[in-house]
Amino acid sequence: MNESSASLNRSRSLDRRDFLAATTAFTATAFADMTGLNVLANPAVAADLKKNQKRVIMLWLAGGASQLETWDPKPGASTGGPFRAIPTDVPGVHISELMPEMAKRMKHVCVLRGLDTKNGDHGSAAVTMMRGRRNEAGLKYPDLGAVVAREMGRADSKVPDYVTFYTQTEGRGMAPGDSGFLGARYAPMELTTNNTPEFIRKLDTISDLDHKTRSDLRDLLSKQFAKGRQSEVMGSHNEAYERVRGIMASETLFDISKEPQKVRDRYGPTQFGQQTLIARRLVEAGVPFVRVGRAWWDSHGQNFETHQEMVPELDYVMAALIDDLKDRGLLDDVMIVTLSEFGRTPSINASLGRDHFASAWSTTITGTGIKGGSVYGKTDDKGNKVVAEQVDAGSLFATIYSALGINPEKNYYVGSRPVPLVNPGVEAIEDVLA
Amino acid sequence: MRLLRLAFLMTLISSVSARAAERPLESLIDQRIDAKLAADKITPAGQADDATLIRRLTLDLVGRIPTVGESEAYLKSSEADKRAKLVDRLMASPAFDRYQAILFDAMLNSEPGRGRSGSVRDYLVQAMKDKKPWDVIFRELMLPGADEKTKSAGEFLRARVQDADKMTNDVSVAFFGVNVSCAQCHDHPLVKDWKQDHFFGMKSFLARTYDAGGQLAEREAGVVKFKPTKGPEKPAKLMFLTGAVVETDTLRDLTKDEQKKEKEAGDKKNKDAKAAPPKPKFSAREKLVEVALQPKEAEFFARNIVNRLWHRFLGTGLVNPLDQMHSENPASHPELLQELARDMAAHKYDIRRLIRGIVMSQTYARSSQYGSESRPEDKYFAVAKLRPLTPQQMGTSLKIATSDPKQYDGLKPEEFEKRIEQAESAGRGIASLIAQPTENFQIGVGEALLFSNGDRIAKEFLTDGGGSLLGSLKTAKEPAEAVNALVRTALARLATPDELNTLNAYFAERKDRAAEAYKQMLWALVTCPEFRFCH
Repeated sequence: MNESSASLNRSRSLDRRDFLAATTAFTATAFADMTGLNVLANPAVAADLKKNQKRVIMLWLAGGASQLETWDPKPGASTGGPFRAIPTDVPGVHISELMPEMAKRMKHVCVLRGLDTKNGDHGSAAVTMMRGRRNEAGLKYPDLGAVVAREMGRADSKVPDYVTFYTQTEGRGMAPGDSGFLGARYAPMELTTNNTPEFIRKLDTISDLDHKTRSDLRDLLSKQFAKGRQSEVMGSHNEAYERVRGIMASETLFDISKEPQKVRDRYGPTQFGQQTLIARRLVEAGVPFVRVGRAWWDSHGQNFETHQEMVPELDYVMAALIDDLKDRGLLDDVMIVTLSEFGRTPSINASLGRDHFASAWSTTITGTGIKGGSVYGKTDDKGNKVVAEQVDAGSLFATIYSALGINPEKNYYVGSRPVPLVNPGVEAIEDVLA
Repeated sequence: MRLLRLAFLMTLISSVSARAAERPLESLIDQRIDAKLAADKITPAGQADDATLIRRLTLDLVGRIPTVGESEAYLKSSEADKRAKLVDRLMASPAFDRYQAILFDAMLNSEPGRGRSGSVRDYLVQAMKDKKPWDVIFRELMLPGADEKTKSAGEFLRARVQDADKMTNDVSVAFFGVNVSCAQCHDHPLVKDWKQDHFFGMKSFLARTYDAGGQLAEREAGVVKFKPTKGPEKPAKLMFLTGAVVETDTLRDLTKDEQKKEKEAGDKKNKDAKAAPPKPKFSAREKLVEVALQPKEAEFFARNIVNRLWHRFLGTGLVNPLDQMHSENPASHPELLQELARDMAAHKYDIRRLIRGIVMSQTYARSSQYGSESRPEDKYFAVAKLRPLTPQQMGTSLKIATSDPKQYDGLKPEEFEKRIEQAESAGRGIASLIAQPTENFQIGVGEALLFSNGDRIAKEFLTDGGGSLLGSLKTAKEPAEAVNALVRTALARLATPDELNTLNAYFAERKDRAAEAYKQMLWALVTCPEFRFCH
């Protein structure tokens, strides 16, 4: 057993006795969800897990951001484009001059420059990059958000498990959050029109007191019905209603006017900045997974103008997020992932654009479980192919799971069929794990 | 006299032997289920009461809760065969055809989130109306366009034509109860008798199917090659799941000429979409239908539909999961499965016969309550399983539960049917927001938020406008009358004394604003699990 998986087992061993005691106590109740979620209702165990609860903010750069104008610049090469590379706080590591703020914070970041994910089609590539593998005929995998929601979410949680922002129209239908075979329980709360989730606020036609008491009445009726009956689905139904009031109370998390002006200024006035600030508020309150989608990266024409406009926003917002999490002592428990469905071609087309490219592109992981300041993967001089430390979607996901303390070989069961979180044989990149 | 007596005796004998041969399916079912309960010393739950049973039957057969009128008539009736009469009435209703078609459509397109892609609902509604047997439906789905009437069945294959692997797996899962996708990259890890040859054998029957400008078409020839885990690449035979092989000389790649013709035909089709592509001289897909239904091979086909229908009405299959019907995963009641499969084949795959047999059994009619803590496992069918309502059941039931029961009273049967159809349409919007139950289904917080705060629920169902239940309560003489009406309409049964106490107490605190109190009670009734589940 290597070191990282040993520590992984240590952190997950949360006292077998407590665990068993909690499980036994709970099989007696009507809602025995044996996935282990209910174990968390035991206060002692819950506290233990809460301490370690890892959370993820994914900055989803929809359409495909260019690695050459961000994390893997090739200044001077025929494919390099007009922008320079600048040194960073990590000796020897250079990134695009469009990211001066991130250049000061690379010691927290792990860059993977050797992604080769084989798929240059927006829709199916987005599906793959959100799951770490292709869906199989007859088996739809849960995406990263759903897995993290399932692994880190608490049954009695007062906040949503999985929130995804995707307010721009381009490509929105291509990678909706999707819990696959994990089903509705882990489906995301999706925000596509504004920054407040649907149905989170009570209607004006009912007073808050009545809203609460009718729900108590419901609870009473459901307890009468539960006598002599037992069912996991019924458990999930009651759990869902029990969470409603808590989630309604979390509406303020979506309201950035609650943040001091100083903090809001830090993230800037753009929608992407504001949503990222909401994401920070959410993970701080215990939401396990938040995705902030930012579209319009698909620069088939005018690649350099597009990136000149969009990369500084990413730079600014991501830097603000890192600082903010660090100031709050959250960077050890929160992971930031920047990801797209693919990167962009080194070759520059006739419209001065870059096209879809999945053979040699970059992603970053920041924060919990990762070796800050590390760079893994190397592309050739023009950026056409990976020459060392190649990474595919599967090992990227195994790495993310491992960094979060989730065993990538853990099985879910679809009927009798064991389905591991990553396909058999896929391994995490040990070199970048903390 | 003696002659007469002899004749009488003869009639008796022949009727007895006829009865032995034509033994009702329900008694066969109960005998097998009870035998296993006895063998394993398990006490089953008692039979559900009449109110529960009519609710369950109405939900399962026509996709909605019963109206107050229907429940009351059933409870009042003292006829010995009232259950059979109810079942026959429901099964004769057009709502039965509509609802079962929706369930079959969901079964064929089980992948969540595929929307209406691949949907053959309209075809299935007509097929149910025409009382088509299951083998005919299978044939028409696999070989659509044989005549103009069955053309719409083609959408099932057409939606999958871009991905032959998926088509292969979906066909195998839906009609034969086997998921062969595990055998795609390697021999099946769980099932010794399945090799890669089986997956690619099945694929060979289907891989010649293509989309010619919106029309489902099939090539004259084709060969599926695959790389086994050991050894060099090899061509697949036309091989069914049982290992039965269809010999053919068409296992070859298309010639350049044929490829060119196909392309031209496709182009032509774009201009003239009405012309059907010519059927190949040798149709691999037709061969699949043939081989799958021939007596020795038909066991997969028959067992699958039996298991699917059993699962539909009892919530657990005789074999679970439904797509793992193979030698390493035996049925809970192997003899029963075999007998029902034989009966199915012997009666020309009559879906209705099996459905009627299942819902007339005592096994189906058990209570979902169990006295002791040690509940028997699902596989014994000793206690009724709680089954979450399907989206359609939710939508239509919500409409009926929140409508003035008088809406459905005193109508002629045709008028009643029409009123029910209107309730189905009224429930469709909300149904589209409810998740289709799947294996290991769990209800998410999204549904609870929708019911708690969605203005759709408030405006469409919890209104006190004309024809609504809440509207009808405005004339209630005393609160108890209103409380009784709420429970009877929403839950299709009489209120218990406990409930009356609870609800009356709730009302007492709000008696100065009765309308709001009733609305909140109705909300609590339609969001509690008793409404959400078929129990």
